[in-house]
Amino acid sequence: MTAAYSMNRANLNPFLSAIAGDFELIAPVRTDIVRFEAVSDPAKICLDEQPFFPLKEFFFRKHEVILKFDGKRFTAPLKKAPKRVFFGVRRCDLNGVLHQDMVFSSGVADPYYAAQREDSLLIGFHCNEAPSEHCFCGSLDLKDFHDLMFFDRGEAYLVQVGSGKGAAFLKKFKKFFTASDYAVTDEDRFIEGVDKLKVKDISGVYDNPGWKPMVDACLSCGACTTLCPTCYCFELREVPSLQDESSERVREWSSCQLKEFTKVSGGFVYRESREDRFKHRIFHQLDYFKEKNGVNLCVGCGRCITGCPTRIDFVTGINEMKA
Amino acid sequence: MTEQTQVHAAPAGPVFWPKPTDTNPKLRVGFFGLTGCAGCQLSVLFNEDEILRLVEIIDVTAFPFVRERNIERDFDFLFVEGLVASRNDLETLQKLRERTKVLVALGACAHTGCVPAYRNFTLKENYEHLLYVKDRGIEDINPSPVDDYVKIDHTIPGCPPDKREILSFITDIVGGNKPKTFNNPVCIECRRNNNACLLESGKPCLGPVTRGGCNAVCVNGGFECWGCRGLTDDANVPAMVKLLEEKGYSKEFIRDRMRMFAGLKMPAEVEIIFRAANNKP
Repeated sequence: MTAAYSMNRANLNPFLSAIAGDFELIAPVRTDIVRFEAVSDPAKICLDEQPFFPLKEFFFRKHEVILKFDGKRFTAPLKKAPKRVFFGVRRCDLNGVLHQDMVFSSGVADPYYAAQREDSLLIGFHCNEAPSEHCFCGSLDLKDFHDLMFFDRGEAYLVQVGSGKGAAFLKKFKKFFTASDYAVTDEDRFIEGVDKLKVKDISGVYDNPGWKPMVDACLSCGACTTLCPTCYCFELREVPSLQDESSERVREWSSCQLKEFTKVSGGFVYRESREDRFKHRIFHQLDYFKEKNGVNLCVGCGRCITGCPTRIDFVTGINEMKA
Repeated sequence: MTEQTQVHAAPAGPVFWPKPTDTNPKLRVGFFGLTGCAGCQLSVLFNEDEILRLVEIIDVTAFPFVRERNIERDFDFLFVEGLVASRNDLETLQKLRERTKVLVALGACAHTGCVPAYRNFTLKENYEHLLYVKDRGIEDINPSPVDDYVKIDHTIPGCPPDKREILSFITDIVGGNKPKTFNNPVCIECRRNNNACLLESGKPCLGPVTRGGCNAVCVNGGFECWGCRGLTDDANVPAMVKLLEEKGYSKEFIRDRMRMFAGLKMPAEVEIIFRAANNKP
């Protein structure tokens, strides 16, 4: 789908209000920080900054009861999300959704993820310039993955349609748009200075001594994996009831940075050292996943650096290793 | 072997965790307090909605804080709150240990010594006049956590402990399961709760090195973590100290903040980091 439209700048808020009337609208809002939230008043939407938290919690739930046992039988409590429209999603976060789709929806699909993901429409908002100093999406092979994508062109927005769902949605709200014969080019997608990670294949630097200062600064707090739009690891727990024989099985986000993460029965821990854990995350993001799926898991949003308490900049670190 | 080491010695072999059986369907559980504020025992009682069910499934044989008649022996599980600060505390603790299969340290005082143990870091002349000794004839000992004297089989940390953790502990033992200790940092739950990071706003939050399981309750309310649940097994304290120093906090400040709750359980290698600060008057 390469069809493009344009929207007068003054039409944006009425358009978003119209969406909020029909759907649950989720967009970046400034509270104490900028975060994705359900919003009804478009004036509250903040597009100047990268939201601190990624979009993934809306699809891959942080805490979810996946099985209930009543003492005799198991049931799966599948709760379908309402129809939701996500607006103001950056290209990195959109690719984050794409990569999580690859994990949860290919092969044996995860029904809990699907129940949240199905009725969602993704409207992107393209960066004219990098919203964070640690953005490095230009180093990664990101795809066009959106239902609609907005490019800010001053007076007007250029709107690219990316799917049939997006086209149908646009038709519903067509009074806000004007058809255009413009085709979006790589020049439109270009963001200056985000090609920060110079090393495209990191498989050779595993044993490089350059990791040490980064590992020494790592608190293993899991901020990086929690803020990552693609990290998908979770743990399962049984929560028995105090009242009777019933029980619940809970799925919760986990993190490969934690010692507990690779602990197995008998107490053995596979990735005991901080260094192994730290490298595992980077290599999963930039090497192992690609080996299996042909694309890097990482989308270059840089949240694992901006949100790291000690600001471990592995992008610079890796660049320096090869040099 | 002296008499004293005999009392302090841990029972030989692996800990036997009692399970309910057909002949003995209810576990015998006790709750005791040594020197402390009783807040941890209150945390047990704050499970208002479940407390009636609780006394149905376990046999609470002793809970002197809320009950007059108590059977102080043959405990399958015994929760001890508070720390040892008097001769009387020590004798009670040693007596109870002998009568208990699984001893659970309930709360930060029993676990690390917490605020009452802070006295260990100051000079005697600063507190001597405040001791009860003169008025009540209480024989004072240096305040120290429970496992300085007897073996602890499980710890429920926190000041106070999370009431749900006490509940899930009991649910687990009634089901014959061994309760899990939460060993992830506070940040895990804190970020999951979508809190803005307080370190980013310059507050001296100890979340990255502190054992979670509290659902980041303090940070949820906008207050930085003071580390009441003690350090995680995996805490990178040198990096934490460096980070706080970069944010403008002195070593003395960081040391005092970290000692407040985890004081006597601070590993030796951590105290070394503060040695430079210790030497200052």
